[in-house]
Amino acid sequence: MAELGTVTRALLGMVRDGDDERALAGRICRACVDGLDVDGAAISLFTAHDSRQTLWATDAVAELLEELQFALGQGACMEAATTGRPVLVADVHRPADTVRWPIFAAAVVDQTPVRALFALPLQWGAVNLGVLDLYRATPGGLSDPQWRDARGAVDTAALMILGLRTDPDAGVDGAGGWLDHTTGHRAEIHQATGMVLAQLGIGPTDALARLRGHAFAHQRPLIDVARDVVARRMVFTEDMI
Amino acid sequence: MSGPAREHRVGQAFVALADTLVDDYDIIDLLDQLVGHCVDLLDADAAGLLLADGGGQLRLVAASSEDAQTTELLQLQADEGPCLESYRTVGQVRVPDLAEMSARWPVFAAAVQRAGAFRSVHAIPLRLRGQAIGALNLFHGVPGALPEADLALGQALADVATIGILSERAVRRGEVLTEQLQTALNSRVVVEQAKGVIAQRLGLPMDAAFDRLRRFARARNLRLAEVARRVVAGELDPAGLGSRGSRSPQ
Repeated sequence: MAELGTVTRALLGMVRDGDDERALAGRICRACVDGLDVDGAAISLFTAHDSRQTLWATDAVAELLEELQFALGQGACMEAATTGRPVLVADVHRPADTVRWPIFAAAVVDQTPVRALFALPLQWGAVNLGVLDLYRATPGGLSDPQWRDARGAVDTAALMILGLRTDPDAGVDGAGGWLDHTTGHRAEIHQATGMVLAQLGIGPTDALARLRGHAFAHQRPLIDVARDVVARRMVFTEDMI
Repeated sequence: MSGPAREHRVGQAFVALADTLVDDYDIIDLLDQLVGHCVDLLDADAAGLLLADGGGQLRLVAASSEDAQTTELLQLQADEGPCLESYRTVGQVRVPDLAEMSARWPVFAAAVQRAGAFRSVHAIPLRLRGQAIGALNLFHGVPGALPEADLALGQALADVATIGILSERAVRRGEVLTEQLQTALNSRVVVEQAKGVIAQRLGLPMDAAFDRLRRFARARNLRLAEVARRVVAGELDPAGLGSRGSRSPQ
């Protein structure tokens, strides 16, 4: 049961080579198509409330799915982005599955061969990075192990993208690396993120970036820096590194 | 606790949990209440609940106490310990004394010893169709195995947690579990971030910060995760959460 899924394993095994979000999104999407029972994948990012961009789409259909949603202002991916919950549609031809966005569903049926659609939010607490969209030309859900793999993959992918955004020295050999999957979920990291956010009046992504920057500059594990912040042994100021 | 008195409280606990399981309830809030009931009904000194993420890693989602040592003991079990074993074997794990703990999980046992407050540990799986989705962890300050009746009650509470996570619409769809687990795990991250913001802004310890957040959400019948999100997003000023003792939830 605790065994890692194919895609999660593939993502965890990716070596970091640079800080190009687009290239990373491409690798994540391809790993999903290779390892899951889906035909295409896309990653769209939500940089601010109204700005969004499709970072990568594995094929024209996946790209069209993203464009339709942005144009219509509704759809599975939009819902996943705004609610922060995965949206899983086993069959877009079944009206019961698509009541919340009938116009989008009609457009999908009309213009694409897509039958099943899975939108998984890329998130880290209150930070919504974007959405990983998967589609298949035949209806039906995914098997239990595949769902588990998809969950692990989207979680890992979120940490990877967050890693690119918050790493001070992106891509320098061995120096940067990803945000570690285990420590990335420790309660102290999140608490410290909240504290630094309040200390500096910045957003959570920037607060995590400051924590990581400090850890890197002083060659300390991130978790240790987080514990110092939580224990109030350390307070971040504007000019501090 | 005497027999009839406890029976009464068990009844009350399940009624309270059932009341929580209404439309649109907050999973984190439910699990938080549940670990509270565990401590209360099973005379535990601490309890925690861990859920498996998509990578099969156990992650802390609720703890009866927010102190650093308890949190650490729970988080450690992502790597080794009774919870991980309970999750992997889908069975209950009883560790009545420290010696047995050391033999089976040296790192975990050393941490328990350092914490000093606990002498025995039990883990109960959150079961779903022959698999586990997480585990409930009970810590006692006295050595010895829990009586069967207590373990059965613990299992019943763990089952309520599973039902809560799945929600009524659960049935047999794997995707619902995926949705709910992912949402629960992420909600916990937001809550931790919000606790940090409140602790910093109001100069409170983490457990008091959590208490403010919880009271505010319950008093207004809001979802804990949503209130936390607003705090992190800067839409809700921690100063507006009210002070200790203001507006009790019930």
